[in-house]
Amino acid sequence: MSTHVDTKPKSKKKFIKEGTFGIYTGIFMLGSLVLAGAIIPRISKYGPDELASMPLAPPSRANFFGTDVLGRDVFVRVFDAVFIDLGTAIIGVAIPLVVGTIIGTLLGISQNKRVNSVVGSLIDGINAFPFLVFVIALIAFIGPGVGSIVLAISLVNWARYARIARTRAVVVNKQGYVEAARTLGFSKKRILFKHIIPNVSSETRAYALSDFIIVIIAIAALSFLGLGIKPPQAEWGGMIRDGKDLLTVGFWWPTVFPGIALCWAGIAVAFISEGLTRRMREVGTR
Amino acid sequence: MAEFLLEAKNVSVTFGSGSTKVEAVKNCSLTLRSGEPIGIVGESGSGKSTLARVLAGLQVPTEGEIYFNGEPVYKGSKSYTGEARRQVQMVFQDPYGSLNPQLTGLNAVAEAVRIHDKTNKDESENRALELLRRMGIAELDAIKKPRQLSGGQRQRVSVARALSARPTVLLADEPTSAIDQSAQAQLLNLFRGLLDDGLAIVLVSHDLGVIRYLTQRVYVMKDGVFVESGVTEEIFNDPREEYTKLLLASIPGELGVAARRKLNKI
Amino acid sequence: MSTPAKPLIQIKDVVIGIPHKRRPTLIIVDKANFDINYGEMVGIVGESGSGKTMICRTMIGTLERRGGKIMSGEVIFEGQDLAKANDATWKSLRGKSIGYVPQSALAGPNPVLTIEAQLAEALRNTGDTKNIKARSKELLDLVKIRRVDTVMKQYPYQLSGGMRQRVMIACALATRPKLLIADEPTTGLDVTVQSQIMDLLKEIRSEMGTAIVLISHDLALIDEVCDRVVVMHAGATVEVGSVKELEKPRHPYTIALNSSRIDVAKPGSELVTIKGNAPSVGEWNPGCRFAERCSIVQADCKVGVHPELIGASGTHQSACIHTELLERI
Repeated sequence: MSTHVDTKPKSKKKFIKEGTFGIYTGIFMLGSLVLAGAIIPRISKYGPDELASMPLAPPSRANFFGTDVLGRDVFVRVFDAVFIDLGTAIIGVAIPLVVGTIIGTLLGISQNKRVNSVVGSLIDGINAFPFLVFVIALIAFIGPGVGSIVLAISLVNWARYARIARTRAVVVNKQGYVEAARTLGFSKKRILFKHIIPNVSSETRAYALSDFIIVIIAIAALSFLGLGIKPPQAEWGGMIRDGKDLLTVGFWWPTVFPGIALCWAGIAVAFISEGLTRRMREVGTR
Repeated sequence: MAEFLLEAKNVSVTFGSGSTKVEAVKNCSLTLRSGEPIGIVGESGSGKSTLARVLAGLQVPTEGEIYFNGEPVYKGSKSYTGEARRQVQMVFQDPYGSLNPQLTGLNAVAEAVRIHDKTNKDESENRALELLRRMGIAELDAIKKPRQLSGGQRQRVSVARALSARPTVLLADEPTSAIDQSAQAQLLNLFRGLLDDGLAIVLVSHDLGVIRYLTQRVYVMKDGVFVESGVTEEIFNDPREEYTKLLLASIPGELGVAARRKLNKI
Repeated sequence: MSTPAKPLIQIKDVVIGIPHKRRPTLIIVDKANFDINYGEMVGIVGESGSGKTMICRTMIGTLERRGGKIMSGEVIFEGQDLAKANDATWKSLRGKSIGYVPQSALAGPNPVLTIEAQLAEALRNTGDTKNIKARSKELLDLVKIRRVDTVMKQYPYQLSGGMRQRVMIACALATRPKLLIADEPTTGLDVTVQSQIMDLLKEIRSEMGTAIVLISHDLALIDEVCDRVVVMHAGATVEVGSVKELEKPRHPYTIALNSSRIDVAKPGSELVTIKGNAPSVGEWNPGCRFAERCSIVQADCKVGVHPELIGASGTHQSACIHTELLERI
């Protein structure tokens, strides 16, 4: 007797898609962080740059996360940093994503050997350097500050996207649907923007998600090194730097809380990225 | 009115240079009349796909000319323009790369319709659905993305897309190679119907069985050169070249068995 | 056929499903039923999605790795039920008594190993590690590769698709298996190469007495090369018989498949095609799953469970409950 342990044919039951847990968890985590970043600095009793209490006061009901070495409330500072840290990271990913995808795609479909060779070498050259080292070197040149961070990161990171885009563009360019678009007489613009770029950017967009984590950490690292966002603006990396020497003497809160926020953001993005990957994998099995 | 709809004269295609030079097509000439089905048969590496792409305007020949209705097709690096461009369409080999993964079948065909008919969204969708229906793709399947369709269905969507331009020539590069036998039969029936409608078809394949079914004349290609050509029926009954005999003997099923029997008797 | 019809492997009422963490098990084969005798070449024909590859996997034990599970039924190989076999049993069987040649486009020789290294690995599987080089050359010879010394030193990328398949066959034959499973070995290859590989398989069968299972969607090919045919549709075995018996098919699906062959079609005539598509997994209707596409469908075809194969094993079996109507097709 055959065992029909299965679903009845044509079942209308809605299945939970693979990866949903990850995606929604990640969105929830990021969302709550952003929400907190918007609300808390507004409703908090203390400003991010005000003297709130005794310096280095431990976490209490008055100061949830305690106070830092200058007596500022760590709680409000951690959340005041959300927009600048996440915002800068988003821009630091978006610019290289767009620029890199376009340049890489154009390179991939170009027939011009010289251009391919020159720009290709430039891309490979930039990619040969470790990301952070190169960015730091550039900032030494440009000078510190939010704008510099974004500029330096963009100048280095676009090449990583361009490499992915170029490889993918070469493949996409040879595909039947692109050749069909040509025989059907579609304009070059249409072919590039409606057929080639969307199918190339699917890969670069996927990379962007994992890159986001790297960029968040890079921004924090740069600020930690004093090269980034200028004080007194609250910023996780800066806060960690300011507090690190105090760890050994027992004042953990000025460092740990911004650290947790950083991890929270990173883990949230990782969840989303993993969830999306799982969902794509499931869809791909046919 | 030129005698031939499409003509290739002494076409050669060479890739690379120096030690990496590859002569994919060497001095090939062929003709195609309006409404005629012809075949180009050869194994992989014979250059048949390259030649097909040259005919389609996708590959500039290193030497030689392509004429469409008597007019040269290639001018520098540009090929078919205007009216001529829409009249010569192609269906490609790999059904898995022939459709934009991000567009539904309907969108892909409607886009082509909109460009050619210069109509609005609704009208182009209607015509697209009609074309798809003719290709045996129901509306239910037309709104699916390529990954939800079988190889045979994807090929038929590709044909519908090619037909949206109302072409007079259809180049088909190994359209049946990557699909099931039953899907093959469906596709070939479709092609036969298109022939009845007056479309000229150039069928490129490694399978003489398929060529025999559909074409009236065939060119046998090996290593970039035409080794034999003629009326399909005659090539079958009286092959001259050894290579042609080898191809005949390899056809799966009854045809191959019959060919082998005949060849062994000689 | 001079070899006695003794079953080497028997697939009995096998049901295969894909269990899933959060959903009901998806049944993809229900039921498969056929025997492979010693020294016989059997073709399993069906459209993609018919379950023919899954059945293949039960015979080489890679089903679990692909997420499948035998829900019920038996897979009896030389007296042992493989459906209940554990890893240890499979280790002693897979690659030893049962060999496998995958589809050309999907898998091939390990790209980072030379052919020599590849064959050596396959030969070590036999347990006998003497004379590996000589035996490797012998294997290449067996699959009719000339210039053996040159090929031994090459990497897969330097070989054509046909040559690579021959190497895969050579590796599969290293242990002189009793059963060789070739899953669409020539799909995607030129017909000339296909023809050579089929000749090779036929020779292997007659010279080494190996039973061969050839999986394909091409009925013309199977017709030409095999002794017996198993026809699968939407996860069920619908007809089994010798090639001769299948010249007069007894199931509407086989009849339709036969009629859609181009090697027997008149040029330019209308090819008979099978209406619709096979129902996809998860969308199976009750009763016979060919009903929607069948030209002689009756009311009772659409209810109950899928028809079982009628007829004793070894005879011409069909899963159609209305064979009396077949003449109408």
